[in-house]
Amino acid sequence: MNVLPTALRRAALGIVCVMPCVAGAQRGTWALTNARIETVTKGVIERGTIVIRDGLIVAVGADVAIPADARIIDLSQRTVSPGLIDLTSTLGLPAPAADGGGRGGGGGRGAAGGAASEPRFTGLDPERVAADELHVSPVDAKATRDAGITAVLVAPGRGALRGLSALVPMHDSVSGTDALRSPVAEHFGFQGAQVGYPQTIMGVIAYQRQSLHDARRHGQVQDRWRTNPRGLVRPDNDPKLQALVPVVRGTLPAFYEASNENEIRRAVSVGKEFGLKFTIVGATEGFKALDALAGHPVVVSVNFPRPALTTGWAYRQSMQHASGDSAAAARETLKAIEGNAAALNKAGIRFALASGGSRPGEFVANVRKAVAAGLPADIALQALTIRAAELTGLSEALGSIEVGKIANLVVTEGGGVLADGAKVRTVFVDGERYEIAPSAGASSTGEKLP
Amino acid sequence: MKRFQSRRAYVAWPVCGLALAASAAFAQQIPPAPQPAGSGTAPLTMPIPPAGKLVAITNATILTASHGTIEKGTILIRDGKIAEIGTNVPVPAGAVVIDGTGKFVTPGIIDAHSHSSLEGINEGTESVTAMVDIGDAFREDGLTLYRQLAGGVTAANVLHGSANTIGGKNLTVKLKWGLPVDSMRFEKAPPGIKFALGENVRQTNNPAPGRTPRYPRTRMGVEELLRERFTTARDYQAEWAAYNKARSALKKGDAEPIPPRKDLELDALVEVLEGKRLVHAHSYRSDEMLMLLKVARDFGFRVATLQHGLEGYKIADEIAAAGTGVSTFADEWAYKLEAWDAIPFNASLMAERGVKVTVNSDSDERARRLYQDAAKMMHYGNTSEEEALRMITLNAAWQLGIDKYTGSIDVGKDADIAIFTAHPFSPAARVDMTLIDGRLFFDRKTAPTLAALMQLMRRTRAAMGNGGVN
Repeated sequence: MNVLPTALRRAALGIVCVMPCVAGAQRGTWALTNARIETVTKGVIERGTIVIRDGLIVAVGADVAIPADARIIDLSQRTVSPGLIDLTSTLGLPAPAADGGGRGGGGGRGAAGGAASEPRFTGLDPERVAADELHVSPVDAKATRDAGITAVLVAPGRGALRGLSALVPMHDSVSGTDALRSPVAEHFGFQGAQVGYPQTIMGVIAYQRQSLHDARRHGQVQDRWRTNPRGLVRPDNDPKLQALVPVVRGTLPAFYEASNENEIRRAVSVGKEFGLKFTIVGATEGFKALDALAGHPVVVSVNFPRPALTTGWAYRQSMQHASGDSAAAARETLKAIEGNAAALNKAGIRFALASGGSRPGEFVANVRKAVAAGLPADIALQALTIRAAELTGLSEALGSIEVGKIANLVVTEGGGVLADGAKVRTVFVDGERYEIAPSAGASSTGEKLP
Repeated sequence: MKRFQSRRAYVAWPVCGLALAASAAFAQQIPPAPQPAGSGTAPLTMPIPPAGKLVAITNATILTASHGTIEKGTILIRDGKIAEIGTNVPVPAGAVVIDGTGKFVTPGIIDAHSHSSLEGINEGTESVTAMVDIGDAFREDGLTLYRQLAGGVTAANVLHGSANTIGGKNLTVKLKWGLPVDSMRFEKAPPGIKFALGENVRQTNNPAPGRTPRYPRTRMGVEELLRERFTTARDYQAEWAAYNKARSALKKGDAEPIPPRKDLELDALVEVLEGKRLVHAHSYRSDEMLMLLKVARDFGFRVATLQHGLEGYKIADEIAAAGTGVSTFADEWAYKLEAWDAIPFNASLMAERGVKVTVNSDSDERARRLYQDAAKMMHYGNTSEEEALRMITLNAAWQLGIDKYTGSIDVGKDADIAIFTAHPFSPAARVDMTLIDGRLFFDRKTAPTLAALMQLMRRTRAAMGNGGVN
């Protein structure tokens, strides 16, 4: 296709590319040619073209007509994969008050004592809507996108009943109105309140159970009252209960953060008791609870815990109180931890992979470790794309390279996005092109205007 | 002091034990210190054999806790249950034989008051937290559980703390260390709940600085709170009864009645009122214990145990008449104001008046040597050998409502058994083996170091995936 000598082409493209990179995203109609395409759902096209218009994929294939108005990007030696989706993010949300936050502000320890000087974080906010609060800074968005992540599920990161999440695309400036979907799920966790009931894990579980019982009844009474209010005491217009009604009815998914074995078993037990449409999120010790996880969707974090922390205080105690080869023990444990996703896959459990709050740059590197520990690479890629899309209810719009889907793509050099040493060169979000500035000496994406 | 002088000769064991410990002959009886079997990557074998094996413990001194001592006796275990006991029990071919020559076999020890292996003991934020369940905080991998197995403990009453008047629901466990948490639940045990009276509830010794004090602050406040909650629970019970009645009388075309709000706290208290949930009440002073017994009488339920009950000796007849047991410390007197009148003779005096008494640990450390604490009851109060043994076995099973299944060496009961190197009340005694449901969960000969054990547990469970749920 290219008739220009390579050196000349590079020189010319330097001018075309660098300027828009500084300016940010480029909108338009694109034809990505000569690319190796990992569609995820329809196999690999070794040399093909993707046409993008109005933010959507309008054509994919080995032999695709290029529209006259398309700007052509030659992706020889490049691989295109669906943009990655991270289902464990707090990006753009205000940080919760730190422990002891607000203490000592103003009045000091007066006779009134109490309320004003105590931390206020409770994490009991099922009605909290992430989309109403979030604002992702361009810096955070870029760092995320540069790692090939084109959409993240944002939810408050702590608390027993955390609120409703939003799936947002990684543009340079994102607020809730840009969300791909909101709400996606109600988010559950095991952290107690900083002040007041519930503080312990048993309190948290009792609180969740009581809230779900209350929501179930609230829904019943509300339905009755809406049908015929005559003679009925009207139900409170309680936003906390209101938020949980679709959850307890199984129409809105519950994302339940549970990392270690005990947490997983406890979460599954609550989910089953109330018939929730639940997904276990985290599951870093999922390999120990395969029986509990069987048949339930999981979001597996690749933010691997340090071996010394995997079995919590029991392990730490053993290290304190007993002699033994702790280095060998740690190696064994690390192997099990990194093999977690592989073990789940072997057990037939369907899961998405997620960053678990690790830095964007570490996300794919950690996924590669999971692959090295036995997770098939194609499953890993599915878990980062189509399976993540399924868990947000958007598998018709995201997660694979198919006609009609949103053009969220990641272009890599040196193999597919999961290949060792692969570098992310270009990312498309809603069909908008973001060039990743290559390090010195690396070649940039070839482009020519038709 | 008379009791001290009249004690039987052989409880002078502490002195003998010290002398013996110095002798080479005695040293030979002690198995060699465990080798670091799990260091490096050398494979370990799973220490828990599969269920269902035929096991025979032969030629042992069997302290049954229910019907005396059998010398040179054999216990045959089939499918995890005690099938035969006696001096003339044939050992079937294929049975795994544990040679009990020179060994003393007792029922597995039951700790009637434990807070072991918990992630959080007190949900102390409210005065009443009957809705919380300690089972949600229990972890199966607490190393203390293994150490307790090494002290012959096979079951425990894992309780919420004593921070509030009505604490959380309890969990009765069998210490099947190495198996997942659900395998450790004593399924047939009736549910229970923790109550507490006195200084802890009043927050006398640990007021929360900068916080508004929590009601109640006095013992009279505690009584008021109990009566108020149980009155509310009765109303709640009646509300549900009315709803269920209306529902069952529903005719075709009638509108479904709206159910009352389900309240997890009151559900637990209704279970207490209905005698379905056992009350284990932390209490020290006789006046507060009498108060609770009266509240229970007024509301028509039985208090299963007074936990600690340090002044129980003052009101032993009243406690016995209420059908209530007492689970006490061996020797924790005068360590705080409300323990001022605690005396060493408490357990013995109550037992003499017909109270079912247990000696508990309330501590990961003491739980490993409850048999020594039981021995003190012979030492202090002239309690008989079998009664002292019951204080850590059969009486504890009775208090927890599991005496049909465990607590003594009787045909038909679960094979929960501790095998000692010497009489369990001798300071020379060590636990050689501990069996639960006929499975060997502790064997001193093969016990690896703790670090190796942790490694083993992780590896085994990772390999088994489901952790070998039995």
